[in-house]
Amino acid sequence: MILAEHVSYSYGGGGQSVSDLSFRIGKGEFAAILGENGAGKTTTVKLIDGLLKPTEGRMTVNGLDTAKTKVSERARQVGFLFQNPDRQICRNTVRDEIAFGLRAVWGKKEKDRIDERVGELLDLFTFTGDEEPFSLSRGQRQQVALASTLAVKPAVLILDEPTTGLDYRECTRIMEFIRTLNEKEGTTVVMVCHDMEVVLDYARRALVMAGGRLLADGPVREIFRDEVLMERASLLPPQIIRIGGRLGGTFAEADDAETLASLVADEAERRRGA
Amino acid sequence: MTDLFQYVPGNSPLHRMNPVTKIVLTVSVCAAAFLTDNLLVLLFLLVFDFMIGITAGAARKAFSVFRGLFRVSVFLFILQTLFVRRGNRLFWIVTDEGLLTAAAVVLRLLVVCLPLTLVLTVTRVSDIAGALVQVLRVPYPYAFTLTTAIRFIPQFMEEMSGIMEAQTARGVEFDTRNPIKKLGMLLPLCAPLLISSVRRTGATATAAEVRGFYLRTWESGCRKYGFGPVDLAAALICAALIAGAVLIP
Repeated sequence: MILAEHVSYSYGGGGQSVSDLSFRIGKGEFAAILGENGAGKTTTVKLIDGLLKPTEGRMTVNGLDTAKTKVSERARQVGFLFQNPDRQICRNTVRDEIAFGLRAVWGKKEKDRIDERVGELLDLFTFTGDEEPFSLSRGQRQQVALASTLAVKPAVLILDEPTTGLDYRECTRIMEFIRTLNEKEGTTVVMVCHDMEVVLDYARRALVMAGGRLLADGPVREIFRDEVLMERASLLPPQIIRIGGRLGGTFAEADDAETLASLVADEAERRRGA
Repeated sequence: MTDLFQYVPGNSPLHRMNPVTKIVLTVSVCAAAFLTDNLLVLLFLLVFDFMIGITAGAARKAFSVFRGLFRVSVFLFILQTLFVRRGNRLFWIVTDEGLLTAAAVVLRLLVVCLPLTLVLTVTRVSDIAGALVQVLRVPYPYAFTLTTAIRFIPQFMEEMSGIMEAQTARGVEFDTRNPIKKLGMLLPLCAPLLISSVRRTGATATAAEVRGFYLRTWESGCRKYGFGPVDLAAALICAALIAGAVLIP
């Protein structure tokens, strides 16, 4: 579905470049791109979306070369949720905001179809439609931006630090929407995220980047358990993974607090019995 | 484009010059450009601008400003040529005076725009504010307003580019060749830009207040802005430029 073949990109002004990226993300995958600031994560997702064109190599989404595909065509395939929803929101009501992207992609003539889709999304996100987006809370604005992004039913959803600035409840609500979308509708999700707990909870695959290069690519838990890799990428694995790693043995397999607590209780019971 | 107003560190005479002298030099170049209609004087002023750029080690930036103004200059030249009806007709509706006026307008535009950019290239915005307050006794809130406006230009440009990127990702075709269609697409972007600007202004005001904004006077700055030989030389150049523009017919 997403295929990067030796993709390189360099900014003229000296921004962080990426070089020789090669990976394949299949349909329905939930992948997280990890790395410290300046590792090239945002550049990579912009290359996937076609906002940046590779200076070398080829990036294809659903077989379409992002360097050659028209903006409107690409927007049908790929949705992009930005870190800052205020850059995305530009209409006076939530209803208009959701319809804005649909009008750009489907065309204004499809009024009935647009109204129907807007109605579906308003119900899903529990908005009345008449709210003023800029008067909403940060979390609600992020939901409006997500609703607008999902309006065209993109096959690929890119999330660039979607939980930044959100409290726990807002973060969970947004991420649960995305999980449902990924699991029930088979939407491919590529997420850039600095919150390793969120990555552990939601992503199944991780691509680790440093200095514009891809260091590793694999299942999230395996990646987090590789201490040398984490050190190289200047990343700190989630606490539960670190505690499990310190305890060793079967405890290292635990990836949530409940499992670890239950394993510890079992071990304590076993020792008491012995 | 966003680095157009960014300070480039250096140790050239222009870097060492008092910020107030640099402003006076800029104003003198602009005044000389408006005081003369002589094309040769305007050409000299343009060369003088480039010399300043080369001396400051910002020749590339001077040329990039020149390139950036090229389209506007061509448009202005055509407009002036078509609308000035005085003088002898050369061909079609173009007159000799129309051509001369158009050339003068374009040269004046280039002469005026270059030093304004160059001053910001060789002076920190904070130094401009400091010198205005300390040397010219401009009240700090006014100096702050001026420098904040300058400082926000690249930030607004970056914000606009981010907003356009976000809208492009939603399928808005900014790459269309139709200028009217493009204008129609740009208008909705005014809302997010305005909102983000107001939010940024609010945040800046709060940050300034918690750092004692209203306590600052002309004596508060830790850096002293003195005048040296290079400033005297600049003052003489300023006088020569103005005199040349007035006296050369």
